Amino acid sequence: MQISNYMTHEHRSCDGLFAEAEKLAASGEWDAAEKAFLDFANETLKHFKKEEEELFPAFEAKTGSTEGPTQVMRFEHEQVRGLVGKIAEAIEKQDRDAYLSLAESMMILLQQHNMKEEQMLYAMCDRVLPPAEKSDLVEKMEKVEL
Amino acid sequence: MFQNSGLSLDQAPPISVVFRFFLAGSLWGIAAGIWLFFAGAPALEPSTPEALILTHMLTLGVMLSFMLGALFQMLPVLAGVALHDPVKAAIRSQYPILFGTLFLLSAFATASGALYAFALLFLGIGLLPIAARMLSRLYRLPSHSPSSRGMGFSLYNLLLLVAVGGWMLALLGGWMQRGDLPALKQLHLDLGLLGWIALLIVSVSFQVIEMFYVTPPYPKRYARWMPALLTGTLTVEFVAALNAPVLEPWIESFAAILLMVHALLTLRRLSMRQRPLTDATVWFWRLGMGALAAAMLLLVVGNLTDLSTSLTMVLYVLYTSFALSVVLAMAYKIVPFLTWFHLNAQGYFTAPMMHEVIHPQNAKRHLALHSTTVFVALVAAFDPRLWPLAGSLLCASFAWIAVNIYRAWHLYLHVQKTGERFDMGSFS
Repeated sequence: MQISNYMTHEHRSCDGLFAEAEKLAASGEWDAAEKAFLDFANETLKHFKKEEEELFPAFEAKTGSTEGPTQVMRFEHEQVRGLVGKIAEAIEKQDRDAYLSLAESMMILLQQHNMKEEQMLYAMCDRVLPPAEKSDLVEKMEKVEL
Repeated sequence: MFQNSGLSLDQAPPISVVFRFFLAGSLWGIAAGIWLFFAGAPALEPSTPEALILTHMLTLGVMLSFMLGALFQMLPVLAGVALHDPVKAAIRSQYPILFGTLFLLSAFATASGALYAFALLFLGIGLLPIAARMLSRLYRLPSHSPSSRGMGFSLYNLLLLVAVGGWMLALLGGWMQRGDLPALKQLHLDLGLLGWIALLIVSVSFQVIEMFYVTPPYPKRYARWMPALLTGTLTVEFVAALNAPVLEPWIESFAAILLMVHALLTLRRLSMRQRPLTDATVWFWRLGMGALAAAMLLLVVGNLTDLSTSLTMVLYVLYTSFALSVVLAMAYKIVPFLTWFHLNAQGYFTAPMMHEVIHPQNAKRHLALHSTTVFVALVAAFDPRLWPLAGSLLCASFAWIAVNIYRAWHLYLHVQKTGERFDMGSFS
């Protein structure tokens, strides 16, 4: 469960950052909201990078598939990146309604993406990768920078 | 390999699959409101044909439609179970269920044996294959979450529920003599209301509450064992219904206490959520879970002492409020999200934001209408003159969600026809 635990923990911590930014935007504290959203975006994009550069290639190498689930996950990452850009625009314009609307889409998109990863992909990774490789992977992911 | 291991991630069914079920459910809600308007208090008195008709309009019509729509959408996400050719599968179950329900309602009204037989045949054709298919896909999953496990158990209860319903119809139609009808009826009610509807909602809530509202998770061991415990309890009730009906109320009370605990745990989680905004869906969940806790308490009290007719009606209204509130909570998340999600995934720059599909103010107004409906129905339990008003409000409430779903669908088609599209070739 090493991969599942490590990655799921990151999901939850991103959720916390997201909620914090949303709270500030809802109350119109735009400077603080911008900073909080930046924290969320950085953590999320770093998490994606860990997956795309370390975890997915390891999974693909082990299973011999580059067109299966990891490709769908990459596509959904692109959707999230698109929304990050749009939310940043809403912050710049201090448009509360647009922020909250985009935030809602982002939240559901991320959550259904996370559910799929947590329940299937990470569980699969934990099953197919040998323990030593998993420790090695986590170590490598720890070192990933944006 | 991925299909076989249940790991199929590219699987959101076409939007029409979900919308067709949701729209059908809403139309049944309108029909139930009209029925309540004309039938009045007899529609709430146990065992009258009017009550059987109202109950089955709400369960087979409204709840089953919304639940199947949600299952088609959520099984791939929550459990990696994507059904092959979901549009065909949806149509193959939706139409037989529609005709089966119409036959059943007519059978209740006329007590005709032939209509009961047709009802059984069509409901069987509509429900059994899809439920069995979903259940077998869930069963083959290599790893389970509380949600996928709970969904499996609720589908198992659905299969038992249909079987017991069939048995009752066979007794009513005079084709079979074995079995005690009141005991089977009690079992049928508990399998349907507690084992299928409530357990499916419980399973969804394990995932949705924590993730959408950013709350602490449900206690791990509780989430792991609750669906099995509830289903085990109902299976014991099954045996009791056949051999010792006197035990049924005790077993039912235990199941009710489990659900009451779930309602309280959910309310507690909602009050600890990290997302600050109180949108309508939070209140739909709160209203639903509050109503579930109260309904289950009343069910237990009713098993210890006889409830007055009014309180029995209150129990009916509370349970219905629970189920309908959660359906609305889910619909107000799912409908705008899917509209945006599908258009965005298809690469339309002009994909509407969720608030442009259904504005939160619109959902809040519906919450006010829905809460008024619940309140009037509760008062009507003590003043029967209010039932027609409760019926009108129920009708208006479902017309409201029907219009919202129709508008979302219309907007979806409009964007597809007129929107500019980004070339997604690099990702597909």
